[in-house]
Order: sequence, then C-alpha cells, then structure tokens
Amino acid sequence: MMHQTIKRDGVETVGDPYLCLEGVNKKYGLVEVISNLNLEVRKGELIALLGPSGCGKTTTLRMIAGLIAPTAGRIAVGGRDVTHIAPHGRDMGLVFQSYALFPHMTVAKNVAFGLEMRDLSRAEIAQKVAKALAMVQLEHLAGRKPRELSGGQQQRVALARALVIEPSILLLDEPLSNLDAKLRDEMRAQIRDIQQQLGITTVFVTHDQVEALSMCDRIVVMKGGLIEQVGTPHEIYERPATPFVASFVGRTNRVKGKCMVDGGIQIGSSIIRAASVETPGDVTVMVRPHRILIDWDATSTGQGETANRIAASLSRITFVGDVIQFHFDVDGCEFIVEESTKKAQATHRPGEKAMLSWNVGDTLVFGADQ
Amino acid sequence: MEETPTSWFMRVTVTVLFLFLLAPVLLVFPISFSGDQVLAFPPSSWSLRWYDSLLENKVMMSAFLTSLGLATVVTILSLIIAIPASYAIVRLKVTGSEFLFNLFTAPLLLPTIVLGLAILIIFASIGFLATFTGLVIGHLVITLPYALRVLSVSLGNLNLACEEAASSLGAKPLVIFRRVTLPMMAPGIVAATALCFLVSFDEVVITLFLTGPRMTTLPVELFHHVESQADPLVASVSVLLILMTLGVVMIVDRTMGLTKAFVK
Amino acid sequence: MTTATFDLPVGSQKSTSAAGIAIALLLPIALVNAIGFILPVLNLARMSFNEALPGGGIADAFTVANWTGLLQDGFYIELITNSIVVSLGITLATLLVSYPIALYLHRASGAWRTFLTVLVISPLLTSAVVRTYGWIALLADQGPVANAIAAMGFQPPRMMFNTTGVVIGLTEILMPYMILSLMAGFGRLDPKVEEAARTLGATPFRTFRRVILPLTVPGIALGCLLCFVLAISSFITPKLMGGGRVFLLATEIYDQAIVTLNWPLAATLSMLVLIIFGAALAVYSRILRMIEG
Repeated sequence: MMHQTIKRDGVETVGDPYLCLEGVNKKYGLVEVISNLNLEVRKGELIALLGPSGCGKTTTLRMIAGLIAPTAGRIAVGGRDVTHIAPHGRDMGLVFQSYALFPHMTVAKNVAFGLEMRDLSRAEIAQKVAKALAMVQLEHLAGRKPRELSGGQQQRVALARALVIEPSILLLDEPLSNLDAKLRDEMRAQIRDIQQQLGITTVFVTHDQVEALSMCDRIVVMKGGLIEQVGTPHEIYERPATPFVASFVGRTNRVKGKCMVDGGIQIGSSIIRAASVETPGDVTVMVRPHRILIDWDATSTGQGETANRIAASLSRITFVGDVIQFHFDVDGCEFIVEESTKKAQATHRPGEKAMLSWNVGDTLVFGADQ
Repeated sequence: MEETPTSWFMRVTVTVLFLFLLAPVLLVFPISFSGDQVLAFPPSSWSLRWYDSLLENKVMMSAFLTSLGLATVVTILSLIIAIPASYAIVRLKVTGSEFLFNLFTAPLLLPTIVLGLAILIIFASIGFLATFTGLVIGHLVITLPYALRVLSVSLGNLNLACEEAASSLGAKPLVIFRRVTLPMMAPGIVAATALCFLVSFDEVVITLFLTGPRMTTLPVELFHHVESQADPLVASVSVLLILMTLGVVMIVDRTMGLTKAFVK
Repeated sequence: MTTATFDLPVGSQKSTSAAGIAIALLLPIALVNAIGFILPVLNLARMSFNEALPGGGIADAFTVANWTGLLQDGFYIELITNSIVVSLGITLATLLVSYPIALYLHRASGAWRTFLTVLVISPLLTSAVVRTYGWIALLADQGPVANAIAAMGFQPPRMMFNTTGVVIGLTEILMPYMILSLMAGFGRLDPKVEEAARTLGATPFRTFRRVILPLTVPGIALGCLLCFVLAISSFITPKLMGGGRVFLLATEIYDQAIVTLNWPLAATLSMLVLIIFGAALAVYSRILRMIEG
C-alpha cells in the first residue's frame, strides 16, 4: 500500500540504494567463494539472487543476515554500517529453506518470539501476532505445534514470524523449494502480494529461474561467487550479458559460428545477422526456441530486412505437453524450435525441409572466449 | 528357509540360549519369596519374610538411601557439567574439540578395577575416602563421559537453522540457548539423566574402593552381603533394584516417546 | 549450505571473549577429569615404581623391583597366564553361545526383533552383583543345575568356588556385549547373499561356512576383543563365585590394594592389565587389517 512507486518490467525505478554490499569477499582458507561483490538494493525492492547451487547466493544472504562474517568488504543498511553487528542486532527477517520453526513452541509462540525479544507489552504482542497470522491466513492454527502443520502452512508461519518484527529487510532463502509445484505457484503470488503490501525491501535466494522472473523487480544472476548480470527480469531474459545467463534463464539454442568482417555471422553455409556486432572470429550464437518461425513451404521469400533465414531439415519431434519441440539440423548444428501444441501440426516427418526465420534483434551473439 | 530342519534346530538352540541368558535374573524373583532360612531353589516354602527383613535391616536401608541421594546428586551435577561442555565442544568448536571429547570420554576405556584403585590412592592422600564428596567425584568420573556422549550427539543433531532464526529475530546468545537450544535438546537430556542415574546407582567396583564402614552404597553392601552369606535377602533387594531400573526405563520410554513426537 | 558449519556468526568469532566463554564452559568437566582421571592414572603409573615397605608403607623411590619381582615370581607368572587363558576361554564360550542368538536376531524382523533385542539388552541394566547372585543360586551344590544332573543319573561336578563357576557366570554376563557386537558386524550380511549361495546349490552348512562366517568376521573380532578385555578386568563375578580359590588379575589387584595394602604391587598389576589391553587391541587391529587388506 505504501510503496507503490516501484514498477515492474524494465521501467527504471527511482530511489536511493537501501542495502549496499561493497567489495564483499568471503574466503574459506584459500578458497574464495565470494569475490568482490558489489550490489545495491533499493528501498521496497524485491531482488532475487539467482544461480545454480554453489554459486554463492546463500552465502551472500547469510552474510547480509550476519550469520557469516565476510572476509573483507562492507555491508550497510539505510546508510548504517552493519558489517560488524551481530545477527540479533541487525533487525532483519529471515525465512529459511527448512523454515526452522521452533518445534517446542506453538504457532502463536513462534510468531511472538521476535516481539518478546523486543520487550513489547503482552497486549501489543497478542495484537501483532493476530495481525501477522491473519495476513498469512493462519489465525485458526495459532495453538498448533509446527509438526501438526503442512509444509505450506509451516512456510507461512515462518513468513509471519519474520515479518511480524517489521524488519528493515526481509531475507528469503529458497523458501519455496520444499513445496510441491502447485503450492509453489500459490505461494509465489502470496509472497509477492505481501511484499508489495508492506513495501518491504526483500532479498530472495533461488535457483529457480521461473520464480525469479515472475516475482522479482530485479534479478542478480550469480555464478562461481561472481555476479554475472544484474537487471530486471525483462533485461535478463531479452539481453543476457553472458552465455551463462542466456542459458540459465530461459531455454535457448546454442550454436557455434564465425563472425565476419562485414558483421555477418556464418553458421554452416548460411549467413545471419545480429543487432550487435562482435569482433571478427569464433562466436557463440543463441536464439530462444519460441522466437523462431518455421516456414514449411521453404519456397516463400524473406519477410523483410529484419529477418534471418536459414535452410534446415527436420530430424526429430518431441511432444512436451504445452509445446511441441521441432529439432532441426542446420549443417550439423541442432536448432530446437517450439510451437504451441494448438498451432503445430504433427503431420511433419523427419527429413522434411523447412526455412527457419527470426528477427535480427532476437539473435544473441557472444565472443567465443565467454 | 522356514521349513528346513536347520531352522527348527536353530529355534530350539536359540530358545535354550535365551533361557541361559535370562536365567539368573529371572531366578531372583521366586527366590525373593522364599520362606527358607538359607538360599535354596526351589524354596521349600513361600513367604514375604525376606521383604520384611529387608525393611528391618538398618544397614541395607541406609545404604539404599545413600545410593538414592548419591545417584540424584551425581545425575544433577553430570547434567550441569556436561551440558555446557557439550555446547562448547559441538557448537563453539573450540580448537582441539575432538581431542577434548576423546579425553573427557577416556575414563570409560579403563577397567573399573584400575580406575578404582587409581582414585583410591589419590583420594586417600586428600582425605576423600568414605566421604560423600569422594563418592560424588568418583561417580562423576564415569557418568560424565556417558552424559557428554549422549548430549553431544543430541546437540549435533539439532537443526542449527532454528538457533540462527532466533538470532535473526533478535535473541542474544544466552537467550537462544535457554529458549531454543535447551528445550530442543530435551530428549537427549532425558536419556542422559536416566543413564547417569542408572550408572551411578549400579556402580560397584569403583565405589568398593571409596566406601568404608561409615559410608556405603546399596550395590556395595549387597556385594559384601553375598560375599559373606548367601541368603534370600539379596533376592528381595535384587527384585527391588530390577523394578526400579524398569521404572526408570519406562519413564524414559514415555518421555522419549513424547519428546520424539515433539521434536519430530 | 554445508559451508555454514565452519562459521560462527558476526560478533562471536573474533572477540577474545568467545575463547573465554568456551574455557569457562569446559572448566568443570576438565577439573573432574583432572582430579578423577588424569592425576590418579599418572599417579598409579608412578606408584608402580615406588617401593613397598612391610605393613603397608610406601617409600618414594624409583625402582623396577615391583616389575622384576612380578615377572620372577612363579605365583604371579601363573596368575597372569591363568587370567589370560581363562579370559580366552570365556571369550570363546561367549562367542559360541552368542552367535546363534545374534544370527537369529539379525534375521528376525519387526516387533519380534525389537522385543528380543530388549531381552538381550535388559541384563545389561541389571547389576552384576544381582546376576552373579542368581548364578550362585543356580550352581550351588544342592542347586537346580546339580539336581538336574543328578536326576539324569550323573555325578554332579562342583560348579561353585572354582573356575567352572566363574567361566559360566562371566560367559552369561558378557553375552549381551558379544551379541550386540556381532549384530553390528552382521550389518554387511545381506540375506540375498545367503539366498544366492543356496540357489547356487550350496548346502546350509556349506553356506554358513563359506559365505556367512567370512562375512561376519569383523563383528566376531570386535565382540571377542570386547569380551576378552571385560573378562580379564572383571572383578565382581570372580570374587563372589571364586570363593577366594580362583586367582585372577582383577581379584589380586583388589586384594593387594585393600587386604595386603601393597599399593605399589597393586599398581604394577594394574599397569599389567593395561598392557594386556594394548596387546589385545593390537591383535584386533592386525586381524581387521588382514581381512580387509
């Protein structure tokens, strides 16, 4: 309700950085798990730390919470340096992957714990607990023990427990990974709604790109302790900065090509073009499978200057529910094209020839060293 | 394999061996109801006279009270000493914690006859023999390793995230320990309590070196009694001892059953 | 994350107070350990080199007289050999009577197995004095065992106040340890291996000798080590059932310490027990290496 200034989808947001990580570094002995990490999170923003396991995203979150001390660097919240402040002095709400509910306390006692630590009056605690439980729709389970709740309910208790203390920052560590697929979709929406309602600055750790794309204002893609790219979901998806980001976020075709002096890129015997120009030499070309159109007649001429066109032959068809994947062979390179099940016809046979076309702007080109 | 003759043979063998294993314990029950003056089985008549004579036996009764008091004090001290120690070893991970753990549990590796003699010689020089203090320390030497082991395992199995969650909710270390760690260790604490109590209550060999006419425990008194005369009195004491052990085990089973559900 | 276990939160790792807290938490247990274990054991080792004076006096000296005297005295040589032989006999007897139970328990399942396991453990919770007393009742001259043998028309042997009684009593008392060790070792015995051997045409006896026995050797070794060590240091049963006529290391230590008041000799005998412990452990690890390498 309060902070509705943040807009999604690539619209630039205003606001000063609220959570700042400056030159943060974490070493275990000689192994550097986080190297020189710099990140600014704006007030009211929901930001995702996205990456495969071992990329350092959880370590980063734990350093923000104060559960791990960085080897070097500085962490500040709202201009206050918290690098050397113990977790209990940081005022952050933390939701664990395992929920970490206190097994010996009721739901209400779990939620009240943080308030009791702040020496609030009993009446105040009762009122805030009731409000927090109402927010996650669990008022009726206040007297239960955690073991009597389902996974989704435990997850909501953990969320209420973290939020009831009105923390300066909400930290979520893979909060949805222990839920089944259907419940995960519901919780995604609910977490986003609550976050928007409270306008609370949130850092969300996940390895699930769909979660990051659908919930967050911005995404930080990490790999091997380094930030690969920071951007809105739109930017990350449409303009991935590295081949890793392109292949980690969304599905993509990945083929080798050669960039020529005139900017054309040779793939097999075909020449295509990209919006950006790489230095001449070996390059990696990526195209999203659903951005490619199939022209089965293979006779019609181009759809204008913006289109890349290459001749291909169908090698395999895979049915995956919502979409059908057509696997094409282009001079030894494989291109996968996705069409919705409704549109596609299953009458095609392997060996059939077709022309593949896509917009020049949908061609992602990366130097071979990346 | 059920129908083969081997299996039939095996069953008979196992039954006989189980009888062998349980015979001496089972035997004390009928003997305790003997009406005879001396130990004989089967008894020629039945009575409760040996339970009566136990209640009238001042030495046995005072030894029983000493044992009860000793086991209680030793158990409480074991918990008070071993809980912080297990926390330091498991949670604070002090340097050389593995070495310390091995050192503190090492007394269990020594034969009690050697340990008893070793303690006797030291205690004789500092006047601890046949004193309550001396007995308490002597028993702590062997109850602490059990307590430390059980509590360390229990602490090591706790979900560390719960303590981290408490910390992020604003709880200081001491508050976390009191309100989160300690309650979650409850099953381990119950197990350690029972173990320490039983070990202390049943200890004979070390205690034998540390007791004297002034101060003796029930197992030691029982030992001396069997050494000098074998009458059914020992059987009635044994029955009471067995029932008490059974009681402790059942209490543990109850609480553990409850607490197991409680911590999942 | 696994890395988290290496970490302490901010504010608890660099401060010197953390080390102070740890020391404070460990101080009480260290104190008991020092007073009740380290100091006595070191003192005992030292005591074995002191000189015993007649009448229980001890002269602070450094002499190997206790050790040389021990190894030259025919009585002690026999005591030591006797202790080792009797303990080995008890270990073997315990193994023989425990193996079938352990194998049966390993194959049993569900509540039946739980019940039988509780039966096996329950004697452990009963005082050795009580169990020895039970054996005295059973093995007495006019006791049920003697009567049963007489009823079968045999002359019942004496089973009390001699080595036979001690061996029978200790065998039963050590059974739970042996059974539990064997069961731990049987972990690697998959019933499918047995079935495989049987389907390949092996008779039950051959299956046992060629398949089951070799796979269970580690459990056997562990159980035997444990039982031997417990037997050679056992005191209650030999003392009560031996009636002063069975001389074993542990009873001799007690007599020298309490009756004769020759502490240096008692200390030397104690050290000897520890040396035998070490030797048993060495043999055990040798056997383990042999079957695993």
